[in-house]
Amino acid sequence: MKKKFIAIIAGILMLLLFATCGTAAPATDPSGAGAPAQTPPAAAADAEQEPITLRFLHKWPEPEFRPWFDALVESYMELNPHVTIIAEAAGDDPIKDLLRIVIGTDQQPDVFFAWSGEFANNFVRAGVVLDLTPHLDADGGAWRNTFMRAGLEPYEMDGRNWGIPIRVNSKVFVYNEALFAEHGLTAPETWDEFLYVAQTFRDAGITPIGFGNASPWAACHYITGLNQKMVPHDVRLVDYYFMTGEFTHPGYVAAHDMFLELHDLGFFNPYVNSTTHSMAREAWFMGESAMFYLSLGEFRTIAAEIGPDGWGFFPMPEIPWGEGRPNYLVGAPDGFLVSAFSQHPEQAIDFLQYMTNMENAVSLIQEIGWPSAVIGAVEAADAPDWLIAGVNNLAEADGMALWLDTDIHIRIADVWLPGLQELLEGTITSEELMQRVQAIAQEVRATYE
Amino acid sequence: MYKSQKRALLYAVPGMALVLIFVYYPLILTFYNAFYRWNAFSPVRTFIGFENFQRLFSDPVIGIALTNNTLYAVISVIFQCGLGLVLAAVLENKMFSKFQGFFRTIYFMPVVVSFAVIGILWQLALHPASGIVNPFLHLIGLGAFAQDWLGQSTTAIYSIIFVSQWQNIGYIMLLFLVAMQKIPTDYYEAAAIDGATGIKSFFHITIPLVKEMTLVTVVITVIGAYRVFDEVFIMTEGGPGMSSQTLVTYMYRTGFRTDEMGYASAIAVLMFVVLLILTLIQIRVAGTGRSKGEG
Repeated sequence: MKKKFIAIIAGILMLLLFATCGTAAPATDPSGAGAPAQTPPAAAADAEQEPITLRFLHKWPEPEFRPWFDALVESYMELNPHVTIIAEAAGDDPIKDLLRIVIGTDQQPDVFFAWSGEFANNFVRAGVVLDLTPHLDADGGAWRNTFMRAGLEPYEMDGRNWGIPIRVNSKVFVYNEALFAEHGLTAPETWDEFLYVAQTFRDAGITPIGFGNASPWAACHYITGLNQKMVPHDVRLVDYYFMTGEFTHPGYVAAHDMFLELHDLGFFNPYVNSTTHSMAREAWFMGESAMFYLSLGEFRTIAAEIGPDGWGFFPMPEIPWGEGRPNYLVGAPDGFLVSAFSQHPEQAIDFLQYMTNMENAVSLIQEIGWPSAVIGAVEAADAPDWLIAGVNNLAEADGMALWLDTDIHIRIADVWLPGLQELLEGTITSEELMQRVQAIAQEVRATYE
Repeated sequence: MYKSQKRALLYAVPGMALVLIFVYYPLILTFYNAFYRWNAFSPVRTFIGFENFQRLFSDPVIGIALTNNTLYAVISVIFQCGLGLVLAAVLENKMFSKFQGFFRTIYFMPVVVSFAVIGILWQLALHPASGIVNPFLHLIGLGAFAQDWLGQSTTAIYSIIFVSQWQNIGYIMLLFLVAMQKIPTDYYEAAAIDGATGIKSFFHITIPLVKEMTLVTVVITVIGAYRVFDEVFIMTEGGPGMSSQTLVTYMYRTGFRTDEMGYASAIAVLMFVVLLILTLIQIRVAGTGRSKGEG
């Protein structure tokens, strides 16, 4: 009964989605912009096959990204005329709720987006995700060998592969080269150098770092990096696992204090809790701030707004006294899972293989500037310098710290992230926030014990 | 009157069935679900007795949400019902009757606009650096009141409530206008002959004769205040921190974000109980619920 009731709600939600975002057999962009590589249809033999409908849910409804996915779906259907793909897109935040609603019903998508780490693991534990290991290992691991390790690994759980990465994303500080040159500054490598650079801009009356935390994932990405640098690697991994997390290491409080210091010293723009990430980014585009913390996936937007030159980037500076591993990046792959209840799992996997073949990996880079998780795609795509530099930065890192909010249990994240807004507002201290995190972690452990 | 009560009952069956299926069945299911730990995408359900209900009393966010909903209700009754009544009376006044159509449209226009649009517009307008509200306050000499409206836990909920008043006052005003237009003009003429001023007529004729509509608007406003979702979800997502959470936004968050459908069901039960009590109190306070002259 519960399932039927949820199915009705999910049905209504899906109908709404179709009305707003859904595109069954969307038209290819006539200009060709944003279109994945088109392969001539070779589908005559396909004509007599049983009709198949796949539901595909991704998280990029934005006009700069969606056309690529629409064209991908269109080209796949041209190659496979018996397949109809109903593609839907929900934004970064709505998809978190939508997935939870639709996954438990018979309206669930066959192929759906999921962040790696605990976000995907949560679905895996519920038994709603198909094990992709045999498919990756087939033909001597032919499909597996096409992906970067950094793309596949975060989607592993219990030694099995549950997700297929489409891109590998990371977080870096971008900076205005002209402002740096004007003040005789270079990209900082250590935290002290970073503070010096920020102070120099502050003294010159320029906002050192643009920052918008109206949605607290923005602060969470800072904390992701600072936790990684301040807390020993093994301790952090134990804490991030919901069955063992205690979060008592003093490195967590130190990480929050360092983040808060950036705010209290006036290194961020004012009104961070009412400024959105995109508003702060626009301000950085206009030269109103010197640095901005954003993801590799946003590089193309920068290139479109201010051009390919005049800006550079650096990873979160090293903290020599931190107990975490050096040379780690903040970031994670973005990818897709296949429903364990899909009526057509082979077709769903075939669609994923098509999405991640070299031709489409190259198209992904050329058309929307994303760092594909497919090995060799960046070289094959003749990618712009800024993307090559970003991908090299990824390749040179010793490891990645996944986004905190999708790497820890959702109930812990739901206490931690709002707490970061309170921390910036000055209504709680770092110690108080970590006490809350410890309390909820204990509650979560007790729930599952 | 139907001659056969059985036939009358038979005609009522389809309607009753729909109400039972779509109102009472989900309601009972909500009570039932609150006794389990479960999420929307897993078949695993664990019976936990009254644990979810006990948690309601120890969860600090429930206190914040209830306070915010109550603030929402009190302020909405004062501004929407109170000010809506005054606005309607002003527009019904002979002096303004010529412009009534114009002002009615102006006040009612925000009601028909989706809150998704209104919320984003006000979010921009209230931004302390790039919005228009703070510069306006400076312009009229009230610069001391300029705030980071949505970015502070002390002002966020009030900012949302303000926007809600701005949007809905026109609707309440329109309901009062309809009620006032049913009042015979003879009463006002007789009062005027006896020397009553406009204000006296308002207090001694208008208010008593729109009592039923006042009850309706108060019930609509209070129930609306305890069901508020869009305004908070769009403008602050319940933040900063949890400062602007309401019962519905928190219920949504626990159900669809933190995978605690059982606890979300318990919050829904709490909402049901609160609204039931408030509605019963309102009906009792307002009297029998029958218009003057009705048998």
